[in-house]
Amino acid sequence: MKRWHRTLALPVTMVAIALGFLISIQAQTQKNVSAAEQISADRMTQMKSVLSNSLAQNTKLQTDHRVLLEQLDAARKKVGTDPQLLAELAQLQMVEGTQAVEGPGILISIDDRDKKVPFPLGTDDLATIINTLKFAGAEAISINGQRVIGSTAIVLSGSSTILVNEVPINRTEGIPYELMVIGDQDTLFDYFSKLEAPNLKLGGMTVSISRKTLKIASYKGTYTFKQAKPLTP
Amino acid sequence: MQMDKRERSLLGVASILLGFLFIILLKSQGVAGSQLAVQETAVPSLIQTEQENQQLSVDNEKLQLELSKYAQGQSATTLANQQLQEAKMNAGVIGVSGPGLRITLDDSKRAAIGQEDPMLFLIHEGYIREIFNALWNGGAEAIAVNGQRVTTNTEVYCSGSYIQINGTRQMPPYVIDAIGDTNTLSAALKFYGWFRLGDLQQQNGITRKLEVLNNVVIPAGKLRDYHSAKPAKEGT
Repeated sequence: MKRWHRTLALPVTMVAIALGFLISIQAQTQKNVSAAEQISADRMTQMKSVLSNSLAQNTKLQTDHRVLLEQLDAARKKVGTDPQLLAELAQLQMVEGTQAVEGPGILISIDDRDKKVPFPLGTDDLATIINTLKFAGAEAISINGQRVIGSTAIVLSGSSTILVNEVPINRTEGIPYELMVIGDQDTLFDYFSKLEAPNLKLGGMTVSISRKTLKIASYKGTYTFKQAKPLTP
Repeated sequence: MQMDKRERSLLGVASILLGFLFIILLKSQGVAGSQLAVQETAVPSLIQTEQENQQLSVDNEKLQLELSKYAQGQSATTLANQQLQEAKMNAGVIGVSGPGLRITLDDSKRAAIGQEDPMLFLIHEGYIREIFNALWNGGAEAIAVNGQRVTTNTEVYCSGSYIQINGTRQMPPYVIDAIGDTNTLSAALKFYGWFRLGDLQQQNGITRKLEVLNNVVIPAGKLRDYHSAKPAKEGT
């Protein structure tokens, strides 16, 4: 080994040390990774089955819901209730939100996924937007499919999950926030584009508004009155 | 630096091995990371469907109950009237009374001095909205501010010196009444922004008062005519 140059001794030693180090790390991570992969795969399959289960349940419940509504409609017609009473009921149910509605309105899409957005859309922003839309005379509003009613609270759960009517509305793909608003199209468009859109755009978000005929789902929660008693029976 | 063939090849092999190992290391790290991400994205949609399912099943039960009443042959008109009463209650067009909270907010009696921000001496519409949000979150059953019932159409909009609520001009003091479980209402209120108002009270002298009352009377809201929205069938 006399032929080895002394100058070479240092780099070779370094390389050898680095190699040994890397090999040991590699062996370790490989072990960890395969174990993690195993766990992760197990979890994924479990999660997928749970998800598909609940999705199936969801479709079933929705069809049940539709069938029941139709049966109810038929039952009402059969017994022949006063049509004026029914009209009043329908009107009230649109206001309280338990009735799905359709009509002209605007569709607002807000995208805050861009990297140059310093503060993503928060609950306060959503509340402000809703307030402005009500100011503009909105008749029905939904955020990502959740109907906004009088007693709707928009709150944060954890650090980033937004709850509307106690249901998380965050989306994992597609446009993050879609608001459907039914009402006078010109007023809604005017008020939103002048009062709210500029602020959102200033915050780096992408905002698009389009006039459309929309269908807004009903409020799926329940009203409960435990403490409040009606004044006039 | 002079090296013979063997040395050079040795170094070469070592370098290649090093690079190779490094790449494998990076790759395995990446795989582990991406899998975690996939899992995380599946969670919210799962929670979402679960919640929706819960809402739907409650709703379905309600419908079933109603349907069974029809099947039992109850008088249709009585039933419809019952429903109408319920819908009126939900929509907030019936005055209600019950135990609840009274919150009073008022501008500061003191004027801003020197560098102080005069905006911190006034009650803004945002505070009122924040309080509403907290109260609804705390399970409030009915809310009114300065005698204006808060319904689905109620706006609380800052219009300069006054706040527009239900299309009327409202000036301070703002008295917010809410009916519900007073404990949960207070807890929700304290969870959201109540302390920030407390700071304003201490430093700038705004009024922030919370009273628990045995009986609060909340007036009926007005029903607005809808021109655009029409009832639609549920579903896709």
